[in-house]
Amino acid sequence: MFDPSVITDNAALLWQGLLVTLLYTVATIATGLLIGFAIGLAQLSRILPIRMFGRVYVEFFRNIPLLVILLWSYYALPIFLHVNITKAWAGYLSLSFYIGAFYAEILRAGVEGIDPGQSDAATALGMSSGQRMRRVILPQAIRRMLPPLVGQSIIQMKNTTLLSAITVPDLLYQGSYISSFTYKPMEVYSAVAAIFLIILVPLTALARRMEGPHARIH
Amino acid sequence: MPASIEPADILSIDHLNLRYGNRQILRDISLSVRQGEVVVLLGASGCGKTSLLRSINLLTQPQSGRITIGGEAIFDRSEQGVDRLRLGAKQIERIRARTGMVFQQFNLFPHMSVLRNVAEAPVIVGGMTRDQAEQEARDLLLQLGMEAHAEKRPAQLSGGQQQRVAIARALAMKPAVMLFDEPTSALDPELVGEVLRAMVALARSGMTMVIVTHELGLAFEIADRVVFLDGGEIAADGPPAEILLAPKHPRVASFVARFHESIDMLKPFLETA
Repeated sequence: MFDPSVITDNAALLWQGLLVTLLYTVATIATGLLIGFAIGLAQLSRILPIRMFGRVYVEFFRNIPLLVILLWSYYALPIFLHVNITKAWAGYLSLSFYIGAFYAEILRAGVEGIDPGQSDAATALGMSSGQRMRRVILPQAIRRMLPPLVGQSIIQMKNTTLLSAITVPDLLYQGSYISSFTYKPMEVYSAVAAIFLIILVPLTALARRMEGPHARIH
Repeated sequence: MPASIEPADILSIDHLNLRYGNRQILRDISLSVRQGEVVVLLGASGCGKTSLLRSINLLTQPQSGRITIGGEAIFDRSEQGVDRLRLGAKQIERIRARTGMVFQQFNLFPHMSVLRNVAEAPVIVGGMTRDQAEQEARDLLLQLGMEAHAEKRPAQLSGGQQQRVAIARALAMKPAVMLFDEPTSALDPELVGEVLRAMVALARSGMTMVIVTHELGLAFEIADRVVFLDGGEIAADGPPAEILLAPKHPRVASFVARFHESIDMLKPFLETA
């Protein structure tokens, strides 16, 4: 029997969990965008060491599972550095660095996808490399980048559930907690899944609509 | 102008060499273009004419040689690869802006209006006020018959219209010499005429022009000189009538034979017209 009272009785805990999930989602997306922008530009740099740094960063964070990054930064990094790292900081930084690598790849691909003739035309008019990037390349690239950026951000919200592994009280963590004293995993985990669906289905639809007409501009 | 005064060289290229890896694209090219002169570069595909044009404003970096635009060197490197000139990016950009370039694929900025395409560089490179730049841009668009399309995006225009906007965009920087890289090759046949007419008008106005094209008719119409490239070298250089009608070099002869054939085929129709 499905017992909805488990959910209504513990709505406050679920609500708190949801706020934590949303907080980490928004904060790590914002920080990740800054990191991704910097690393993406580094990957496009004409200066080899900077370009290599960008490449190494991206491959490093894309090839370690996020769960490993989270556990490592919370349990192993403090031992290496002899400092105390709270689970909040470990979670925030891990998720930010991780998604930054994916945003950087989206930026790089977006810029490299622009016809080289655009850069030629801007160069021939006497524009500097900075002006070419700001006035000609990025405005076109960002339009193409929006759908994959939204898609990656949706994945990021789902990835925050891994925070429960380092006991950050996110939505999934609160669900597990409720389930542990009510013995009603069916109701609780169904509720957690439903909350994600309610938030992410409209965003996914939005991302799909953005892919439509915008992708056809060029 | 008194006949005793020789017009100055606007552009001079000395002993230019360009390689991609082991492939020699340009071999010891020397070429001077005087003020007001119209030079048409001809040659088979892959002969290096587009590379030569792109070397002039350093869109393509040559290995060695010397390039001077408006009396000021933009590139000077010995055959041994020693730079005899070290310019910062700012100086290269300043000298490069004296050349205007028109591309085969137009390369208009798709996210800007036609007006903005023309006015952008004068504002951000030339330091003009936006009002002044837009006023001048409208004048140029008027000259090219595009004033009615100023607020449109490039994607709303035909290829011929886009190329005319691209010419206006290049002219907006008030270049000393205009470089055209096969400006009609990407156009549908019925759109070639409007671009050729714009180029003829520009040549008549006294603009110095270097044109890479396959339109031999254009060469006859406006060229003061035809330069024929073969295998990265200059095979012939002279007035169009001399080069195209009485070719001495066998490669030039075979290149223009096709043109002569099409003229012969057209003759009966032209005579009845």
